[in-house]
Amino acid sequence: MFKLGLRSVLAHRLRFVLCTLAVTLGVAFAGGAMVFTDTLSSALKKNFAVSTADITVTPASPIETGTDRPATFQIELVDRIAAVPGVAAAVPQLLVGNVQILGPDGKPLESYGLTSFGAAWPRDPGAAPFKLVDGTAPWSSDQLALDESTASRAGYHVGDQVRIVTPTRAVTATLTATTTPAQAGAAAGAPLVSFDGATAQLLLLGRPGWTSITVSLEPGSDPNAVSKAIADTIGDSVKVRTAKQVATDGENDLDNTFGGFGTVLLLFAGLALFVGGFLIVNTFAMVVAQRSRELAMLRAIGASRGQITGTVLAESVIIGFVGATLGLLVGVGVASGIRFGYELLDLRIPTASLQVTPTTIIACYLIGIGVTVAAAAPAARRAGKLPPVAAMRDDVHVPERSLLVRLVIGAFMLLMAVLFFGIGVGAGGLPGAVLITLGTGTAVLAVVMLNPLISRYVVRALMYPFGRKAPVTLGRRNAERNPRRTSATASALMISVGLISGLLVIGASVKASIDKSLVDALGTAEILITNDGTPSFSTEVGDRTAKIPGVQAVQRVRQQSGEVGTTNVQVTGVSDGTLAGPVTTAFDAGSPAALAAGQAILPRNLAKTLKLTVGKPFELKTANGTHRLTVGGVLAPNRQLNAIVVSLPTYATVGGSPSDNLLYVEVAKGNQVAQVRTGILDQLRKDYPTIEVRDQEAYAAVAREPVNGVLVAVGFLLAMAILIALLGIVNTLALGVVERTREIGLLRAIGMDRPQLSRMLRVESIAITLLGALLGLAIGVAFAVAVQSAMVDDGLAVRDIPVLQLLIAVALAIVFGVLAAVWPSRRAARLDVLQAIASE
Amino acid sequence: MSVGDVAVRATGVWKRYGVGLTQVDALAGVSADFGKGRFTAIMGPSGSGKSTLLHCLAGLDKPSDGKVFLGDVDLTTLPEKQLTHLRRDRIGFVFQAFNLVPTLSALENITLPLDLAGRKPDQDWLTTVVDTVGLMDRLAHKPSELSGGQQQRVACARALVSRPDVVFADEPTGNLDSRSSGDVLDFLHRSVREFNQTVVMVTHDPTAASYADRVLFLADGQLRSELVDPTAESVLDAMKQLESRHDTADELAG
Repeated sequence: MFKLGLRSVLAHRLRFVLCTLAVTLGVAFAGGAMVFTDTLSSALKKNFAVSTADITVTPASPIETGTDRPATFQIELVDRIAAVPGVAAAVPQLLVGNVQILGPDGKPLESYGLTSFGAAWPRDPGAAPFKLVDGTAPWSSDQLALDESTASRAGYHVGDQVRIVTPTRAVTATLTATTTPAQAGAAAGAPLVSFDGATAQLLLLGRPGWTSITVSLEPGSDPNAVSKAIADTIGDSVKVRTAKQVATDGENDLDNTFGGFGTVLLLFAGLALFVGGFLIVNTFAMVVAQRSRELAMLRAIGASRGQITGTVLAESVIIGFVGATLGLLVGVGVASGIRFGYELLDLRIPTASLQVTPTTIIACYLIGIGVTVAAAAPAARRAGKLPPVAAMRDDVHVPERSLLVRLVIGAFMLLMAVLFFGIGVGAGGLPGAVLITLGTGTAVLAVVMLNPLISRYVVRALMYPFGRKAPVTLGRRNAERNPRRTSATASALMISVGLISGLLVIGASVKASIDKSLVDALGTAEILITNDGTPSFSTEVGDRTAKIPGVQAVQRVRQQSGEVGTTNVQVTGVSDGTLAGPVTTAFDAGSPAALAAGQAILPRNLAKTLKLTVGKPFELKTANGTHRLTVGGVLAPNRQLNAIVVSLPTYATVGGSPSDNLLYVEVAKGNQVAQVRTGILDQLRKDYPTIEVRDQEAYAAVAREPVNGVLVAVGFLLAMAILIALLGIVNTLALGVVERTREIGLLRAIGMDRPQLSRMLRVESIAITLLGALLGLAIGVAFAVAVQSAMVDDGLAVRDIPVLQLLIAVALAIVFGVLAAVWPSRRAARLDVLQAIASE
Repeated sequence: MSVGDVAVRATGVWKRYGVGLTQVDALAGVSADFGKGRFTAIMGPSGSGKSTLLHCLAGLDKPSDGKVFLGDVDLTTLPEKQLTHLRRDRIGFVFQAFNLVPTLSALENITLPLDLAGRKPDQDWLTTVVDTVGLMDRLAHKPSELSGGQQQRVACARALVSRPDVVFADEPTGNLDSRSSGDVLDFLHRSVREFNQTVVMVTHDPTAASYADRVLFLADGQLRSELVDPTAESVLDAMKQLESRHDTADELAG
């Protein structure tokens, strides 16, 4: 039976081209994702997943080391650890991810999304995260070192003057050395500036402190025993890890970092295969229908049901195998392309040879063959049910399961979906949104089930405006004549369009909500100052702004992260006047005066999550330990202050460093905002080239920007899914042309010209496209509207349905429908009339 | 017969397939006139080229040599688009099987050539044609709901609805039982008698040929003989003669 399957595939290879292409695309994404992540993580592990220190001690804090505002500890700890038996030396290290390196042109260097790190030059080079390549170690506040690759990209040489902006100030210093990474960690491969210890603390932290302590052992000591001894001595305020543990953690970090990217690719591979599955289902249904007489003949001469089913399944295995092989090759190609791109950037991300592991190969074949076989299974099963007598009959119909079953299952699922939606909207918040997503998934399946039942009527209604000319009627009837096929083809498009339109509505609502909350929250401050690159900047910016003519007042906002219980929170420190003007606040309970008393103010949603009310105490864990605070007020949800708000002095006591994240500048009466803004820029640009000074409108635009970025990225991936759905339409039309060769021959014989033939196919294509696009639109919009209703209190206050964009999406769908018909029409037009009539 | 009385004229029509040693002449210089308002049957053993001749006469196939005129239009030089429109407007077709578009109702199938041309059907003529084929009560049915004979009658009605210059029928009764065949042939006969239509029919059935005014006999791509006002018996005799001659020729050649 396998031989028969192979022969059949070879004989009908053209019919399987698009089918194979669909498998190839899906597998290519999956394979590419696996190869790329394997390659990168193996390369990184090989080069960096080692620790040069025997034991590493870091603060036990929820705040990651190496971030903008790391947890630190004081130098006394070094002496206490050094005194532990078995310890040969304990060396403090400082590594902070918050600097900006300026190029010779005074503009920040491009870092390709990587954090730029600042570090203290190690006292003991053995255990440092980097080592000297060239020059001499920086020794004073006007000397620094750069990592080799950043220096060469910027064109800096030892002896050059390099300008650096840190959270505390901007400095110019002489480049005295270049470095190269020596061990695993966040800084490996990223731009790195190093200073001598004291300068580093001053510039990076603005206060004394260290981010980790590396410990070397006396010969013969057991790392585990010493590590336990250190932990026992110091207590649970620190995390003590051996070299092995650090290496493992490093690997896990890497896996997490690249796993995220891999997961996105895999998700998309899943979507591509799901959408492509419809195409495969259709192809096999049509091929079986065309060959029903041949298959019945096989039954008549003695083939069993199982053997017939086996033949068709064998074909699907062959298609799956070919598709998976091609997909694997394309995937490897894509992965090496991405790797090549990274190499071009010279980011010193180490490269290894492409890692095509046996796991990847097996997975690709399993996915490719599995999906194809699963999609072909219904057609194979139906083929087995063909009665042998069909070989002798003229009008052979492949037996199909009654649509009643579909009606019952579909209706049940639709009911479930409605239930999910209802509960989801009622529950609200993130759990509500999850329920609605689940409901949408169910609704999609329900519509896929019910589609053949409704498609005829929907198509008739949709195509009404296209008139009743003969080619139009014929095309529309062709779309109606096989509801299962039309529905499966349209369903693939429905899923893609549904995702896109849902995304459009949610995206627009997020933007509208941001706008509204900004307008609501931004009070009297005409100008807002932030920093581009690192989130925080020197307090000197605020000091100097306050002295500029026309500036009435400057209110500072500082931010750090912390934890209350197990909830991650933002902690915001504000100047005393902030709540009175620059930020519009509406108090549910309490008043701004609570801040001066050292109390905290929370927005309503956060208070609800943390189950706190005015007067209640709570424990806040931050970079420098745990602090006890009292709730002094509860605010209406506020985008500008979606955090635990404290006064600046309180902020300092809970471990916040003295650098600002945002300045609200109030312009004195009688001054032009634009003029004052220019004044601020003139004063600060030279020393702080990355400072952004914006009026309220520009600030709002920037707040919207990330939404656009996400929309574009996700939209691009979904466009690929639409492409596969379109392949499905091309496939259905092309196979339809093959199947209806005689009919086309007849139409041509009695006087249908080529343009009319093309129009007939175009109408069928548009009918399928419109069906898919409009169902998708309905589901997508319903999903987005429900999510918005559920998340009214969680950042989606405003519902915005971008009608124009949605209409454009539908219009585009029609255009694509027209394009999808081009190739099948050309094939149909090329058919020889006489041969077509004579064909079986 | 004057030129004005000729609906279709073939002059020295050749149709060759293949080249060199494998060259086959399906038609070897056929010349014939088909009179207006006449019912002509073309007969011959299988492989005699009768269907090829019909396809060339109807503009579905291009002769390798020779000319085919529909009225005064030379079909052999007409470009594809004009040929299509000519088929639509001036020629009617009835094939042996698969004559109807399955998605259209009987009435829609009948008016399809007019719809393709964007013309409105002449209601009186449409009623007359439908009435003659006796399908008044089946017009809303889909082809799959009609019997084989009914389907062929719908095809006949479609062929006549645009009042074509000629109706070409290629074995129209080949798939039908004798009663249904009789209905279809009766209808073709009446369309010639009562509506002055021109019909050219290919058949291998002497009974079917007996409905025609004239029978042309074809063998090995050449016209061999013709009968005027044939009966089933006279056609059968002529066929037998043709075949025996054919066999003798084969023996001589062998």
